[in-house]
Amino acid sequence: MAASTKATVVLKAVKKITVQFCPFESNVRSTREFLVMVGSAKARSTNINCEVVPLVKHDKSVPVVDITYLDGDKLVLKGAQLTSSEMINAFQSLCAEKDLQAKAAAKK
Amino acid sequence: MAATLCVRLLPKQGWLPLTQTVRHGSKSVTRHRRPMHILKQKLMAVTEYIPPARVIPRGAYPFQRKQVQEDSPLVLLMKRDLKTVFKDSKMIAVVQNNASNAEEIMVLKHRLYKHGITVKFFPNQVVLSFLKGGLHSNMAPLFIGPTVLFVSKEPKAKEMLSALRVSQHMTLLGACIDNTLLSAQAVVSYSKLPSVSVVQGELVSGLTMLTSHTASMLQRHPAHLSALLQQYVKQRSSDGGLEGAPKAEEAT
Repeated sequence: MAASTKATVVLKAVKKITVQFCPFESNVRSTREFLVMVGSAKARSTNINCEVVPLVKHDKSVPVVDITYLDGDKLVLKGAQLTSSEMINAFQSLCAEKDLQAKAAAKK
Repeated sequence: MAATLCVRLLPKQGWLPLTQTVRHGSKSVTRHRRPMHILKQKLMAVTEYIPPARVIPRGAYPFQRKQVQEDSPLVLLMKRDLKTVFKDSKMIAVVQNNASNAEEIMVLKHRLYKHGITVKFFPNQVVLSFLKGGLHSNMAPLFIGPTVLFVSKEPKAKEMLSALRVSQHMTLLGACIDNTLLSAQAVVSYSKLPSVSVVQGELVSGLTMLTSHTASMLQRHPAHLSALLQQYVKQRSSDGGLEGAPKAEEAT
């Protein structure tokens, strides 16, 4: 499976995604693929207020994805040893949890 | 088998029949699989091909001859295009675009074309096979995912950066300006540099500052010059006296 069960990435409950990588390194492929999937038109259409910020550096640093949620939580994904599908699955599972929490809170 | 008779003329005594019956109940060449006679089926089953047993299991040893796949003519055409691009252009920038639609790309193309920058799309595989073993082989890791090449004869980094800042989906990964590989930050600092003539002028003025100063001093009135030199000698002597005392203190 290339991506999660749903083809698109749902970005609700996400405030900002910062993807930082150094393109001349060799361990960057998964992070770049993650950026493509998260920055796609479909994903952006699920939440227009969410910012996707790619940072291109040149300091041999590890590729990192910083996700800030609307309720202040942060998720840090270090993409050096992960595949893009793993990163997306982890991100989506946390998003789904947040969604459920938000719905439960709204019902109350 | 049903037999149909065509038109039958009344034959006279001893004549050959003018009509010929043709069986056309079933065809041998059909569009579906024709059911085989059981005897034929048995014969086909018995005479199936049995390949000779392999001495070495499949995949045990690597292929002896190198598997060289020839490039298709389209790939050759694209490589020729790439060759001219790399030869003619001074600036080649690699940009990743996530999800720009056709409208944005058109607007960007238009904006860049005004400054002489062309936007080129090449498949990553072709570019990687072209760059392998060439001059620009260090650019290879940049070509992952959806990439676009910005190519221009003059290195106009400032205009390119301003156009990229407006389009939110494009990210500058790196550039090769004047056969020098630059990162994204290096391109930004390159754009902030003054032009070559200005830099050369500054360098020349810095080097000739002392000589020009001396020349201007010498061109002044000789009385003024002699007064200045006397003052200078007095200062040196007074300084030398002052310097001698602290140096002696340091030595002890």
